[in-house]
Amino acid sequence: MISLIVVLPFLSALLMGVVYLSNTQKKRNTFYTLVGVGTPAVSAVLSLMAGAELLQGAQTIHYTLFQWVNIGEFNIEVAFMADRLSVVMVAFITVIGTLIHIYAAGYMKEDAAYGKFFAYFNLFMGSMLLLVLADNPIMMFVGWELVGLSSYLLIGFYHHDSANITAANKAFILNRVGDFGFIMAISLLFVSLEGNGFTFDSIEANIGLINHEMLALIGTLLFVGAMGKSAQIPLYVWLPDAMAGPTPVSALIHAATMVTAGVYMVARYSFLYGEIPNIGLFIASVGAASALFAALIASYQSDIKKILAYSTMSQLGYMFIAVGLGAYSSGIFHVFTHAFFKALLFMGAGAVIIALHHEQNIFKMGGLKKELKLVYITMFVATLAISGIPPFAGFFSKDAILVAAFASEHYFIWGVGSLTAMLTAFYMFRLLFLVFHAAPKSTHRLHSVPNSMTYPLVILACGSATAGFLGLNEAYGGGSWFNTFLALPDVSHHIPHATEYMLGGLNVILGVLGMGLAYKMFAKEATEVKADTLFKKILMNKFYIDELYDFLIIKPLLFTSHFIAKVIDPKIFDGFINLNVWGYTATATLFSKLQNGKVRYYALYILAGVSAMSCYMLFKLGVL
Amino acid sequence: MMQHILTFIIFIPLFTAIVLGIMRASTKSLKIGAMFSSVITLFLVAVVAYNFNPDIGMQFTKNLPWIQNAGISYIIGVDYLSLVILLLIGLLMPPLYIYMYHEERKGYWYNMMLLQTGVTGAVLSLDLVLFYLFWETMLLPIFVMIGKYGNGMHQYNSMKILLMTILGSMSMLFSILYIGYIYFETTGMWSFALSDLAIIAFEPKTSIWLAAGFLLAFAIKIPLVGFHTWMAPAYGSAPTPAVVILSAIMAKLGIYGIWRFGYGLFESTLSYYAPTIIVLALIGLIYYAIRAITENNLRKMFAYSSGSHLSLIALGLFLTNIYAWSGSLYFIATHALASAGMFLMIGLTYKRFNTVHISDLGGIASKAPIFTFFFAFFALSIAGLPGTGGFVAELLIIIGAFKADFWIGVLTATTMLSAMMYIFWMLQRTLFGAANKECQYSDLTLREITILLPLVVLLLVTGIVPSLFIPLFEPQLTTTLQDVLFVIGGLK
Repeated sequence: MISLIVVLPFLSALLMGVVYLSNTQKKRNTFYTLVGVGTPAVSAVLSLMAGAELLQGAQTIHYTLFQWVNIGEFNIEVAFMADRLSVVMVAFITVIGTLIHIYAAGYMKEDAAYGKFFAYFNLFMGSMLLLVLADNPIMMFVGWELVGLSSYLLIGFYHHDSANITAANKAFILNRVGDFGFIMAISLLFVSLEGNGFTFDSIEANIGLINHEMLALIGTLLFVGAMGKSAQIPLYVWLPDAMAGPTPVSALIHAATMVTAGVYMVARYSFLYGEIPNIGLFIASVGAASALFAALIASYQSDIKKILAYSTMSQLGYMFIAVGLGAYSSGIFHVFTHAFFKALLFMGAGAVIIALHHEQNIFKMGGLKKELKLVYITMFVATLAISGIPPFAGFFSKDAILVAAFASEHYFIWGVGSLTAMLTAFYMFRLLFLVFHAAPKSTHRLHSVPNSMTYPLVILACGSATAGFLGLNEAYGGGSWFNTFLALPDVSHHIPHATEYMLGGLNVILGVLGMGLAYKMFAKEATEVKADTLFKKILMNKFYIDELYDFLIIKPLLFTSHFIAKVIDPKIFDGFINLNVWGYTATATLFSKLQNGKVRYYALYILAGVSAMSCYMLFKLGVL
Repeated sequence: MMQHILTFIIFIPLFTAIVLGIMRASTKSLKIGAMFSSVITLFLVAVVAYNFNPDIGMQFTKNLPWIQNAGISYIIGVDYLSLVILLLIGLLMPPLYIYMYHEERKGYWYNMMLLQTGVTGAVLSLDLVLFYLFWETMLLPIFVMIGKYGNGMHQYNSMKILLMTILGSMSMLFSILYIGYIYFETTGMWSFALSDLAIIAFEPKTSIWLAAGFLLAFAIKIPLVGFHTWMAPAYGSAPTPAVVILSAIMAKLGIYGIWRFGYGLFESTLSYYAPTIIVLALIGLIYYAIRAITENNLRKMFAYSSGSHLSLIALGLFLTNIYAWSGSLYFIATHALASAGMFLMIGLTYKRFNTVHISDLGGIASKAPIFTFFFAFFALSIAGLPGTGGFVAELLIIIGAFKADFWIGVLTATTMLSAMMYIFWMLQRTLFGAANKECQYSDLTLREITILLPLVVLLLVTGIVPSLFIPLFEPQLTTTLQDVLFVIGGLK
């Protein structure tokens, strides 16, 4: 059964792809909608059934589809594993995925390549589910790469504009840089454990065979993979550009699911990271830096989708703080709640963009509160959730992470996290106020927004409001059900409830502060930010990281390539060969000049030869 | 029948060509004849593969004395290694002939048939002189096809490939003759059969020179860095069917030669050369890829791409462990499929737009979606995307490299990055962007899809279910490797 969860989306992608290519002109929207939206729905039902089985106390479900490779000790099967962690992941991926598919049916309905879109979208679902349900690191890597491919295809979906393809290339290439680390890590893991099997279970059982330095290296390289996929410093630059894709893509891939794969991966390898807490601290630091960095940039952006993209990167930073410090359940819990409110925010943004005829600049929006009432209310809920205002979902998950940082005495990381929380509230309410409250900027009639785009918002808003209660901890009167169910090897620190209330209270205060600041600055009148100070200029140019990459990597590569083409190949390698050719020709010319058929020359040669021989003989005899 | 089946596979194309030539056949009957011969050979190859026993070594062998005074015999046979290449030749010829459907120049067809006999013979020969004969035979049609039917500076380029390849062949011939002489010195008889010569224990110093003779020929054929300047011009000038054979089959024969004759005759000497070749291969992997980034001619870009991947295959071979070896052999097959597909797509691009220069292309995706799919599919399978066979092969080689040495592993893993550097930018400029060119954007026809679809299916099957193919070669590959390691280890 669990293999069907993965296989069905792949099959439907294949089916839709073939049907689409067989006649690209023909409109078959009903067929594509049925297959495209139906398949994730079926996967969702199957995932929930698997989840129910585990809830009733079933052990981890394993299922082997077929053998993949069997060479030497390298015995890899296409096999799936539904344990508690992966079941939680697939459950929310398929459920939210289905909602976004329904939304996409409305968002994309006028697009000529509707069928292609759903083929790609289902390809993504299959790949993501493969990544999560994989029973061994190799299959996980296959899924990992395939989500990168689907992301590439979907970012470049509007391929007539070359800029979108540049964005798609950037995403794929930076992800592949991460994958470069990932594949080295799993190769090293395999080589170090050769002969002990290579499923997650057997790796966990034999992890003690690997020495500490090697574990640290493997852990670091795995995290390089996560940096690429989950857009952390320094491999994050692709994520903002990835917003070139259609908005449902941003919601599903670049907010709710694919980008959280890195967090999932660290949690999946929790048995490994548990052995190397110093690498964990490094992960947490990268996460904290990315969280703050992205929040700062987000506060100065004006494109609605890019703000949300930076916000995603910032929230992913929180998740890495959690998993880095060993609070795996809290990290996954934030992945879970974040999926609801971030998907909702993107989908709401998509509705706004459609209504405003593809306007994305928040300074050119305003006053949509009345016209898009449902969108406004749901987005307001999501904004409260992401800003960490109780009782909405984000408060509990973010609070758990900050408490973990505080309790493990990483006060600096905790401080950065709290500061970021305030910034989050600030830039999110800035967006909300500018779009819905500020005075309208244009008098165009709004484009209608179909129901299939608004109803999923309502469901997600309910989720954003209530999902937090699943993970309510003791201090707030709950039983940490989410964490208990996951049963991950968390590093736990005990702190008094009073401290927890204090930290929670501080978060709320910071959140309200950010919200108030945003209200004061943007709710009534606002002008677009200008790059008047150096600080603003740096922030608005995103710290010039793109330019840095260009200068450090792309330019030198192109230069080397030209240098090989213009100098090394023709001058050195061919030069050597042509030198031989020239030597050959020159010798031939010389000989043909000597052999000129004139007797007096030949007589001269004879004379020269005889003299030389005579000299030699005389020399030998000792006369000379 | 069964004991002559390999002989039939080798000579049916040549025989067809001779008969048609004597009959002065019309172009139409020439086309039918060539197609017919390729289908029959494919069928016979399938029979061989079906009856192939993966647990024993050489099979379907045939040993006939030929020039007895000099100990030269006609010995052919097939084992796990030659079977892979034999299957590729069998599978690729019919699609190539379908591709050449509109080709009216008779010489083209004759040369292709001669070429098929040449490559098949080279891969099945187990006598060194016989091997040399076929090795030279396959060069001739390539020389003619580039020189006569090529484009650009085709005559200069065909001369260049001829001279550079012959330089290698000559050194190999010298080694072959000298080995035969040593055999005569030790046993008092002449023989050039691989199985006889394999038992000679060479003096280390002699062995180093003899191996060098072979390695030079194979290094030029692959080509390793430094021996490569014939490659891009030849690929750039050659007509598409010749490029496909060059990249999919002939370059692999360089690897095959080292595998069969290098490891068959001088295992321990190869371990003396291994560090040098590993370094050259690692340089090649990265060097060619970087060179490809700014290449504007698609044919040349994928010539460099081919060089980069063949360096990887050579690397895997010299790492001598089970993962690297399996990866290399698997890569021989999957890279042949992917590069054949890619060069066919480039040929189809040329047919449509009359150019293979990236700067003259663009915007194909919005006009010709099926064309775009196939083009992108082959390009991505060259980049080693999971789900295609190349990924399995590259993964195995990377694992083998890490097993050998950490830093070799790191450098080998750059293959994840190297192909990507040129492929994605190329796709962007070739397929995407605005369709503002004035040429005719026509999508693939049914005939063209028929050529390409089998390659796509095979790449997917080799990528998704490699376990269908691995048992064909794994047992004997393991045995051979153990023998090689035993000899190398025994000497240390």
